[in-house]
Amino acid sequence: MVTVACDANGRAAVEPFITAAHQQHPSLLDETLQVAELYDVRNVPSVFWIDETGRMVRAHDPIYAQRRNRETGEVTVNRDYLDAVRDWIAKGDHSTFLMDAKRLDSRLPALDADDVEAAAFFHLGTYLAKRGHPAEALVHFKRAHALRPQNWTYKRQAWNLGDIERDYGTTFQEALKDPASGPFYPSLDLVEPAGDGG
Amino acid sequence: MGGATVLYQDRESQADGAQAEGDALWLTLSELTATTGWELKPEGVCKEETCVPVPAARRAAMIRTQPSGTQLNLTEFARLIDQPVAHDQATSVWYFGPAGWEWRTRLSTRVAPDFALPDLSGRVHSLSDLRGKKILLLFWASW
Repeated sequence: MVTVACDANGRAAVEPFITAAHQQHPSLLDETLQVAELYDVRNVPSVFWIDETGRMVRAHDPIYAQRRNRETGEVTVNRDYLDAVRDWIAKGDHSTFLMDAKRLDSRLPALDADDVEAAAFFHLGTYLAKRGHPAEALVHFKRAHALRPQNWTYKRQAWNLGDIERDYGTTFQEALKDPASGPFYPSLDLVEPAGDGG
Repeated sequence: MGGATVLYQDRESQADGAQAEGDALWLTLSELTATTGWELKPEGVCKEETCVPVPAARRAAMIRTQPSGTQLNLTEFARLIDQPVAHDQATSVWYFGPAGWEWRTRLSTRVAPDFALPDLSGRVHSLSDLRGKKILLLFWASW
C-alpha cells in the first residue's frame, strides 16, 4: 500500500492525518500535484491496483477502505471493498475483481490538448496562490475550470486555496448541481456491471 | 520585460536574462539549459538521448542572435514538441507541462507511471522500488 497526498498545502495540511493513522506503508507528499496529474486524478479518493509487473488492474476507485466521521469519530469499514482487495491478494490474476482491458481503457481515456492545457493553468494557479498572488491565481484557476469542469481536483484544490463563495460566486452544494461538471465520483463497480457487453 | 520564473513541471528556476515579448519567452542558451535541461546543439535541441531537430521553417521564430548572444524562444519550442504553456504576465511566471510524446501515450498502455515522492521524513520513495509486489495506490487530500 502506498498513499499519495495530492495537496498544495503540503506537510502542514496532511501531517496530522498521516500521524493519526499510524501508517506502516509509505505515505507520500505530492505538493505540486504533478503525480496526481500523471494518474489523471480528478477527485479524491482515487485508488489504483497495480500488479507485480507494474500493470494497472483497477483504476480510479473512489473509495477509502475505512473512514472516520470527523464529528462523531465513528469508523465505517467498506467491507465489500476490503474483501475485493483480499481476493486480489489471494488469487492475483484470477481474481474476479480485476478490470478487463476495455474497462480500464474507459476509465483511463487518452488526453487531448485541452486536458494538458487545463493542467498547465491549474499548476500555474497553484504556484501563484502559494506565492501570495491570489488575484492572479484566480484567473488561471478559472481557465482550468472552464476547460475541464469535470475535474474536481482542480476545483476543490482551488477553492481550498481561496474562498469558494467570494472568489467563485458559488457554494459546494451549488457546484455539485452544475450539469457541466458531471458526476462527483466515477462509478464504483466491483465487478463488471451487467449489460456492459464486456 | 526582463526576467522570468520558469516552472518546468516541478522544476522551478529564475531566469534573470529572459525576455518576455507577448507570448514569446526568449532565453539565453545557458539559462535554457539551467531552467529546462535542454541544450541547443548543431543537430537540434537536445536532452540526454533525445534530440529535436529544428525545422528550417520555424528556425527564425525559435532561434535569434542578439548582441548578448544566441537566444531560444522557449514557447515556440513548446509548440514544436506539443507542450502546454501557461503564463502570468503580471508576475512573469511561465509554466511548461509535459511534451506531447509523454502525455499522448501516458495511460493508454495501462502501465502505472513511475514517480518518486518524499514521505514526511524527506525520504524519497519510487513506485518502481515496489516492483514485484502488488500495490494499492491511494490518492487523497485534506481539501
